[in-house]
Amino acid sequence: MIQQPTLTGTGAPPAAPLGPPPTFVDTMRSEWTKLRTLRSTAITLAVAAVLVIGLSALITWAAYGAPTHGKRVLTDPVGIIQAGWFFGLLTLMVLGVLVVTNEYSSGMVVSTFLATPKRTRVLLAKVTVFALLLLVVCEVVSFINFFLGHTVISAFPQFPDPAIGGHNVLRAVIGMGLDGALAGLMGLALGALLRNAAAAIAVGVGIIFVEPIVALLLPSSISNPLNEYWPTQAGGQLEEVNLQAHSLTAWWGTGDLVLFIFLLLLAAGYALVKRDA
Amino acid sequence: MIQVRNLTKRFAETLAVNDLTFDVQPGTVTGFLGPNGAGKTTTLRLILGLTRPDQGTATIDGASYQHLRAPMREVGVLLDAKSYHPGRRARDHLQALAEAGRIPVSRVDEVLALVGLSEVGGRRAGTFSLGMAQRLGIAAAMLGDPPVLLLDEPVNGLDPEGIVWVRTLMQALASQGRTVLVSSHLMSEMALTATRVIVVGRGHLIADSTVEGLIKKSSGSVVRLRTPQSQLVLPRLQAAGATMTTEPDGAILVTGLEAPAVGDLAFQAGAPVYELTPVEVSLEEAFMELTQGDSEFQARGLGAPA
Repeated sequence: MIQQPTLTGTGAPPAAPLGPPPTFVDTMRSEWTKLRTLRSTAITLAVAAVLVIGLSALITWAAYGAPTHGKRVLTDPVGIIQAGWFFGLLTLMVLGVLVVTNEYSSGMVVSTFLATPKRTRVLLAKVTVFALLLLVVCEVVSFINFFLGHTVISAFPQFPDPAIGGHNVLRAVIGMGLDGALAGLMGLALGALLRNAAAAIAVGVGIIFVEPIVALLLPSSISNPLNEYWPTQAGGQLEEVNLQAHSLTAWWGTGDLVLFIFLLLLAAGYALVKRDA
Repeated sequence: MIQVRNLTKRFAETLAVNDLTFDVQPGTVTGFLGPNGAGKTTTLRLILGLTRPDQGTATIDGASYQHLRAPMREVGVLLDAKSYHPGRRARDHLQALAEAGRIPVSRVDEVLALVGLSEVGGRRAGTFSLGMAQRLGIAAAMLGDPPVLLLDEPVNGLDPEGIVWVRTLMQALASQGRTVLVSSHLMSEMALTATRVIVVGRGHLIADSTVEGLIKKSSGSVVRLRTPQSQLVLPRLQAAGATMTTEPDGAILVTGLEAPAVGDLAFQAGAPVYELTPVEVSLEEAFMELTQGDSEFQARGLGAPA
């Protein structure tokens, strides 16, 4: 099974020229290989896609088949089509957390920082590669999800069918994909900051899921401004067709979420440099 | 060359590394020895910038690890055998590291062949035995064909054949002019591999010398003499300043004189000599003697009061 070890191929004597130093592109290439060669990446993305598309179609079917919420069916069909994304965001956030924390739990981080001692470069490369991958996947999922939902609604001709060319509809579909990618990045930033999967996931769930519940229990004088500026709530405005009450406009809201993630990454980068690996 | 100067690191209550200063020269295998908990791994992590020192510096060919231009091509490291994700295939793991170091990916198959893992390169690293994990770690260290190698307990978990292989590899690398620093808590292993040894205990330097010098220093010239007429020789030895102990089988252990001097004295006394042997303590014994009281965890004998 194990070959007989040989000493041939130890390579040239150490006087060989050093060659060019690695660049940021090399670090990105390495991070892409690391992301691509773990089965969990593809599996988690597939689970997220199935959750989003499957649940959205189911919820749309149910909502239109038995329109007890008749009013919403008429006013916010895109919101119903995108209902399954709530669970997709959670899955993507968890994937983001694991992309960083699996390095710490496995010991891979030692190899990573020995290969690239500039730790902030590693973080930046990880963020870039992961963001690009998620953006592509989430946009594809968002468009598939929209057109499938569109097909489901067309089975109920008595209701208006949202067209992709409708007011703010294209923006909402693209925005939903962007929001998915941002959820993943938020997870990555939390993972890099806390290094521990359980802790980072708990905080991520708190941010996405718990705040809306807590806000319901608070007087509106507190919950309205809280919801307005809460990063994940504000970021969600991009996927809305109609401007909601007590919320930032679509792009200001997205800016709010992006700023929040940026600050998390800044803190993570600082901790990465200051702490022992 | 690796230069360590006044390196100090404290973890809470423990002074893990205490004002360590030493050099590691190219062209030889240098053993880095100490009992468990002596601070060997912490020292290596400090040299590699994975842990930040409280005081002191460590440089590799003049630069700290963080400031090396192409670290993987300048220093090869085996720290913890399992520095990989268990779900990733061995070949993919090495590819990711090669890319990070801007090393041609063709090098991956070369180092897999070097360590004898060619046929299992497609397996997930999590399925590897400790011995195979060590080989994968050595493969990663050799990716950049570096002139400096730092290996932390490389023979851990290897079978006898693997141990011989690592030993031969390290000596071959040193003979090519590379700097090779190998940590171990096994003195016997270093006796066979290393030319120089740096011994630490409880974070501070105990010895920095050649293996020969270390043995000589500890044994302090002991000679075993066997003669049927010891009564003729003993007074002369005593007069020459040596101290003697008699072994149960009648042999005399002479401390403080070299073998030729003992032989001359016996000849002058007219006593026939049946045996005249310089006694060397093993490196193991020298190590035990040096690190006595310096090991972090000392076992009590069975039945000793707790």
